[in-house]
Amino acid sequence: MKDPYKVLGVKPGASYDEIKKAYRELVKKYHPDRYRDNPLADLAEEKMREINEAYEYLMKNAGNYQYQSESYDNSGSSQSGSYGAQYQSRQSGQYQTQYEYQDESDLERQVRAYINSGNLNEAQRILDRMRNRNAVWYYLQGLIFVRRGWYDRGYTNIQRAVNMDPTNYEFRNTLNNLNNQSYGYRSNPYYTNVTQREYDMCQICGTLWCADSLCECMGGDLIRCC
Amino acid sequence: MFGYVEPDKPELKIREFELFRGYYCSLCKTLGRSYGQISRLSLNYDLTFLAVLLDSVNEEATHGKVERCIAHPVRKRYTVTSNRFVEYAADMNIILTYYNLKDKWSDEKNVLGALGSAALRRAFKKAAGRNREKTERIEGLLGEVDRLEKEKCASIDEAAEPFACIMREVFRCPHVCDEKKRKVLGWLGYNIGKWIYILDAWDDLEDDAKSGSYNAILEQFRYDGGNIDEFKAGIRERIDFSLTYSLSECEKAYALLGAVKNTGIIDNIIYSGLIVKTDKVLQGRCSKNEGSVQGFGG
Repeated sequence: MKDPYKVLGVKPGASYDEIKKAYRELVKKYHPDRYRDNPLADLAEEKMREINEAYEYLMKNAGNYQYQSESYDNSGSSQSGSYGAQYQSRQSGQYQTQYEYQDESDLERQVRAYINSGNLNEAQRILDRMRNRNAVWYYLQGLIFVRRGWYDRGYTNIQRAVNMDPTNYEFRNTLNNLNNQSYGYRSNPYYTNVTQREYDMCQICGTLWCADSLCECMGGDLIRCC
Repeated sequence: MFGYVEPDKPELKIREFELFRGYYCSLCKTLGRSYGQISRLSLNYDLTFLAVLLDSVNEEATHGKVERCIAHPVRKRYTVTSNRFVEYAADMNIILTYYNLKDKWSDEKNVLGALGSAALRRAFKKAAGRNREKTERIEGLLGEVDRLEKEKCASIDEAAEPFACIMREVFRCPHVCDEKKRKVLGWLGYNIGKWIYILDAWDDLEDDAKSGSYNAILEQFRYDGGNIDEFKAGIRERIDFSLTYSLSECEKAYALLGAVKNTGIIDNIIYSGLIVKTDKVLQGRCSKNEGSVQGFGG
């Protein structure tokens, strides 16, 4: 096991709060949601496992019971509040069990399996054979494009799936995730600093639009008309 | 096609700026030593970024010294001591510049392109000899770029693909031993390549619309010869999405790279420099009127 202090980027003997803060930052950085639809997802998972191990180790073995009693328990996991349990279930489910697919044909299931394992050519080959170009078809095509790095086409296809079936949670969720990824990148603290140098209407509109999308994501709405 | 990757200078610490320039000088001198004085003119910041990035996973400490040089005869400058990563970036610089100049000559009959590629011919042969496999793959992909251009490919994703793959080849440096790190570098390179291609197409919109040259964005969004500013306003958001999403993927790849040094400069470029450049190019002429404070004097 690597030096847990090094993994979390804190000094040996760091306080509980420091460790917790560093841990939370790292979880945000390497969260599986951020690496969905990304060819490096496996490496991010590995990194998350390392971070969780280091955090749990420090919580258990630091000889400081204060750590354990106060631990951050937000994820439904009993082990010192790390994202472990939640994370592992997600991994074994490969995002497939989250949603209901009883009506899906075998082919669709195969395409999803190939996309998850990163075999995009095979996924594309099966998809091309499918005759019924319904919302799911456009959604899967969009996923393949995003994984390949063809973001414009990926976005358009997923958008189309959402338009064809606006009630589908998975489609909307993926579309929101794509928007949030680019918004998230633009709102990094380094760049936010820069935007303060030249604050303009565009930024204000962008922020409002994003706040609206985020509200809609959670079921609410900020700006009625869009 | 090059020169878009820049640090966001106002946010850079003096120490980081010195180090970045140290790599730049080191690359320049390496070029001079290996490929002759004229090759030094071909150096650009994109490849300096490559050298800084590749060296960031190298655990050996960075050495350097203060030296005099032809370009700056009066003041001595800090120069990073060359290593295999800097040498690799110099090789790639020669290979990419040579193909770029050759392309300029065959496409636009640009005389500078002809002179430049002739001057770099020997250097190119040497660099290609040192990186035979890479050069072969890059040449094949450049053939793809040409083919798509001739077919007037009407998809920015498809048109950008071979160039993005070239950058993946360039970033997947064989001197990085860890296979996982090479994969991360490859994905970072792919997305930088994608970003460069689309940004460059956007930057050339006016000129290409006037001259009727091929431009993937004009083809995809079926430009009909109308007002170019209106055309741009109508698609800006969509292009912005592709560009920003590519950069967000670069950032995600960089987070997994586990850089052990040079992080100040790379953070600056990845988190700020690239997006500042994106905004500047996307806004086009407006940014000049606003008296933008960014820019890299060198």
